[in-house]
Formats: sequence, C-alpha cells, structure tokens
Amino acid sequence: MMRGIWDRETVALLLLAALMPLALAWLWYGGIEAAGRLALTLLVSGLWHLIFMLARAQPPSFAGALTALAVAMLAPEDLGIFRLVMGISFGTVMGELVFGGWGRNVVNPATITLAFLGFGFPAAPWPDFVLPVAWAAIPAAGLGILLGVISGRIIAGALLAALLAWAIPGGAWPAGLEKVLPVAWIGLILLVCDPVASAATRPGRWGNGLLYGALIVLFATGWDGGAPVQITVSAALLASLAAPILDEAAIALWRARRHRALARKTEDTSWLT
Amino acid sequence: MLSQLMQAGLNPTVRSAPLTGGEPVEHWTEEAAVLPQHREHLRVDMVVREGEAVAGGAPVARLRDHPEIALVAPMPGRVAKVHLGPGRQLHEIVLFRDAGGDMRRHDTQAAGAGDGSALRTLLQDSGLWRQFRARPFGRMPAPGAVPAAILVMAADSRPLAPNPLAMLEGRGEDLMRGLAALGHLTEGPVYLCQRRGPALAGPGAVEGRLRLLRSGPRHPQGLAGHQLHHHHPASVEAPVWDIHAEDVADLGTLLETGLRPALRTVSVTGPALSEARLLRCQDGAHLAGLCHGLTVPGPHDLVSGSALDGHRAVWLAPRDRQLSVMTHHHGAPRGHWFRNALSRAARPVPLIPTAALEQALGGALPAVALLRALSAGDDETLAKLGGLTLLEEDLALADYVTGAEPRLSALLRGALDRIAAEEGA
Repeated sequence: MMRGIWDRETVALLLLAALMPLALAWLWYGGIEAAGRLALTLLVSGLWHLIFMLARAQPPSFAGALTALAVAMLAPEDLGIFRLVMGISFGTVMGELVFGGWGRNVVNPATITLAFLGFGFPAAPWPDFVLPVAWAAIPAAGLGILLGVISGRIIAGALLAALLAWAIPGGAWPAGLEKVLPVAWIGLILLVCDPVASAATRPGRWGNGLLYGALIVLFATGWDGGAPVQITVSAALLASLAAPILDEAAIALWRARRHRALARKTEDTSWLT
Repeated sequence: MLSQLMQAGLNPTVRSAPLTGGEPVEHWTEEAAVLPQHREHLRVDMVVREGEAVAGGAPVARLRDHPEIALVAPMPGRVAKVHLGPGRQLHEIVLFRDAGGDMRRHDTQAAGAGDGSALRTLLQDSGLWRQFRARPFGRMPAPGAVPAAILVMAADSRPLAPNPLAMLEGRGEDLMRGLAALGHLTEGPVYLCQRRGPALAGPGAVEGRLRLLRSGPRHPQGLAGHQLHHHHPASVEAPVWDIHAEDVADLGTLLETGLRPALRTVSVTGPALSEARLLRCQDGAHLAGLCHGLTVPGPHDLVSGSALDGHRAVWLAPRDRQLSVMTHHHGAPRGHWFRNALSRAARPVPLIPTAALEQALGGALPAVALLRALSAGDDETLAKLGGLTLLEEDLALADYVTGAEPRLSALLRGALDRIAAEEGA
C-alpha cells in the first residue's frame, strides 16, 4: 500500500549529493578551466540522454551528471573539444544508454569513456590533482556510506589491499605507489564505488575492493611510465569487469555454506534442493 | 554474526495515533463475512441458504474438492447474502449477528487423546485448518498433506502490529496444548518464533521436537518467511507450514473445551484515525464497524493487514490481525502524456543496489541477485536463492523501499504461480 521514495532518481541524487565535497574542492582548485570542462561534459552527456529519450523513450537520469563529473575530473588534458566530445559520446552511449540506461549497464560509463580516451589518445597528458582534492574524497565517501549509496565494503577492501602493500615490505610503500595513492583514492570513490557497476553481494564487494587495490599496487610498481590517473582508470576498468564473477563466486559460496549449515542443523538433507 | 543478523532490517514509520497498552476491547461487529484469502480461489458447496440461522462456528460452506474442509460462521447469526462467482467460486458470504445465538460445540475426545487423523478432522471441521499456510506457494494445505516442519509465529515486526506475546498472556496452558497437538501433524520440528523475554515453551512441549527461534526487533525479522529462510527453507517436496501463535492457543482451547474461541486480537491504526485501538473481534469482521467513530473527517481507505503488505478491503481477511486506515489519495495526478509514456516504457524500473535494499530483505539473502532474478523472470535462480520460502508479504518492505514498478511482490506471486504450474502442485 505505502510507497517509498528510493527509486532510481533518488539514489542518483543522493550519490550526487555525496560527491559534492569532492566536486566542489576540485572546482575550487581547478578554477574557470575546470568549470568549463564540467559544463562541456554535462552538456554532451545531457544531450545523449535527451536523444535517447526522444528516440528510445528512455527516461533521462541524473546519473548522467555523475558520469559527466567523473569524466571532467579524470579525462586527459589538451584533447581539444572534438576528441573529448567523441569520448564522452562513446562512453555514455555504448557504456550506458544502449543497455537501457543507468541501472542496467554493466560497466560505469565514465570508466569506459576514460579507458577509450586513454587508449585512443595515448599522447595526451593525464591530469594531476592537488592533495586537498584527495582529502575532499574522504567526506564524500563518508556521506555516501551514511546515505547507503556507497558500499563501505568496497572501500574497506581497497584500504585493506593498501595496508597489505604497506605492511608486507615492512612498513614502507613500494616504490612508485605513493604518488599514485591520492588519485587511486579519488578513482575509488568516483568510479569503483558506483553501486550499479560494482559487485552487489557482501563478499563480492570485499573482493571488488581488494582486487582494485591489488591492481593499483601491481600497476604502480610494474608499469613503467604509467601516469597515476591512467593506472587508476585501468584498475577501475578491470575491477569493474570482474564484479559479476565475484558476485557469482560469492553466491556459490553462500549456497554451499548454507547447505552445510542447514544440513548440520537438521541432520536430514532430503528436503534440501 | 548472530547479533548482526538480529539487527538487520528497517522499521518504516507509519503515521498513527499511538497504540496505548492495556487490555484489548471486545468488539463484535454486527456484520461479518466468510471470504477467501487475497487471491485465493475457493470453489465451495453451500451448506446453508440465505436467510437461514447458523450457530457460531457451524459450517456455512464446504470446499468442492475437499468437502472435509469447512468454512465456518464467525459468529452466531443469519446468512444475509451469498455471493458466489462462476464455477461456484467464493466471493463472500455475509452474515448478520444474532447476539443471543449459541456457539457450536465440537467433540474433541479422540483428537485430545493424540489421534492424528481425528485432530485433522477437528481442525478441518472447526475452520482452524484455514489458519495454516503452506510454503512454497502460500496456500491452505491439502487435507492429507504432511509438512516437513511447522513454524508458530509469536512475533510480528510489521509496523503497528499487535504484540503476539500480549495475546498469549494467561493462555500458556492453551498454547502448550496446541503445540503438543501440532506435533501430531508433522514428523519434523515445530519452531516457535518469539522476541525477547522468557521462553514461551521448552523443547519438551512437542516430544522434544520444539525449537525456539528469537527474532530481532526490526522488520522483516518478525515475518515467517525470513525465519524459515534461516532455519528451515521450504521446497516443493518438503513444504513448511506456518501459523500464528494465537491460533495455536485457540486450538488448545478448542481441545480443552470443545469451543473454538471466536475472537482474535486486531490492532486498528493508521494516519486517518484520531485514536488507535486494540480490539478483539471475530473473523471476517466488518472493517468499517471496527473503526466506526475513530476516523478523522475526509476520505480514507480501509486496509486489511499492515500499511506495507495489506490490501484494501471491506472485511478483515482470514489471517490478518491489523486494520490500517489510510488517508485516501485520489490516485496519482494524471500527469503529462509524455511523462507517462516515458515512465511506462521503462518498466520494470531498474533496481539500484543500496544499503536500504539489502536491509529490506533482512540482510541475509543475496538481496540484489534475488531481486534481479525476480525482475528478469528467472524462476530457476529464484528457487536456488531461496525464493520458494518467500511470499508476497516478505517482499513488501523491498517494494516500499525501492518504489519498484511493477511491484516485486506481484512478480514473486507470478513466479510462484509459474513454478506451481510446472510442478503440478
């Protein structure tokens, strides 16, 4: 009888609200140039949502703004408007809208856009972040967890991976990892924690975070000449692609454990499917 | 781990005047009806005709396919109106109350002595059989069916539900007798689910087969589906029944005295009431009669059941113990045609996995996987993830939290009907 309000758009707006500290800090330090990039990405993303609304009757979503924000922050610089527009178009359309919009997509469209731009135009320089922007991602993560739209388990898994990378060599960061960490942290909040494209089971989320962290460590120590953002985007893409199989494994594990627990409880398994 | 499970869930607030404690007020409504459960199809043969007088508890109709199962009059009175659909499908049988009439007395000697088949006959003849619900599929069990386990619910976490422990105060012996009788219906365990407080019964109550389950304070911990999901999942070969503890105590009284108690405890709450009440009324009571004089001015809806999982109704549904009086909304405003076209083209709306969604299923199931299987119509995965133990009411909270369209509970009903047809059940 009663209806709640937690539909797709509410969740998208809550996510946007949670990311506000990060976005505002980035705009504050990026100035007019950052604002211009954000305006462009918002425009293009909104345009594609409009086109799909008219052509395919797909309701537009505030999730488009999430994609636009992540792309504006992490896309390579000096691409020129045309390439940037092409990248966002590819990511938004092929990553999200052709699947039926936010909530049905497989990989975060921003991750796809950034991977597309990174592989397509390897010569373009990747952006740098001043440290306060990375600090601003902490309240963003806290807000997201508090509002229930970001999973604390993914973040905990990634932090655990970082802790292991720090502790195993005996309390020191492996060479090359330290300068990647702030960007990896921003990427974790912006790209990996997307509730749709990340794992949806509890163990799967731990695995998703751990995998992301492990990939960051691997790329940071083994990838010569990889820029921090490039490393982050590659790790986010691979971690996101692995999310379904992590979920599948978690469910298989859950079923096996449940079967065993119930069998022990009743000592009669004939009724179990 | 355990305490985490106990804490999982959400308690949505339903605006209502507070339900003050104290004894429930006895309240007979002048009209009451014999009716099927929501979406239940009962083909019946009438035993009485319109205008005839019946004793309370006397059969007014019997099932066509299983004539041993009787539908009984909830109170002494006169049959006012019989409303049958095509194929003698029961819509409702309305009765007027006769305050001076008598109640039907049953012969309980054989059933009380521990004879299983006599007990079944007694249950089916007295109408108490209808209080059982078999999972999977959530139907009244067939007369000869033997469950793998029975769950007695002495907990209810639905918003503003009456407290089952209060209903059982002073009825300890009746409950014990009822529980012992349930032991003759199944070879398996009998579960008793209650919240905190001293245990209502020990394992000895059912020849050492009684298991006590503790439910947490939050919804949906106090729903039979979630308890069974943890402790004894149902399958087609091994169905599990559930029944409310008050009905089990009624069974105990019936065995002792030969009279089935006619009244049950019902809470009358909701945003359109000036005052909430705890009543004791008969089965199938007239809902308008229950809240007469309590409603605030303006249009309102009478909902049999809780605000989450109830249905708009005229009569109290057979298993419900709540009347929710909701403010009437004149439907959604019609909206622009373009907006409507957009929102309808996108159905089923995608589910975004959030913490709220996980809590709405009690935090134990792989919630998102289950709901995705449901909205994709993947019945096999649904059954693998434990969907056969669930019924509509178990997903009502997820519906509330997500505003899903179409309703997840409706999707579950569709999936269960498909599985039932496939299994020939």
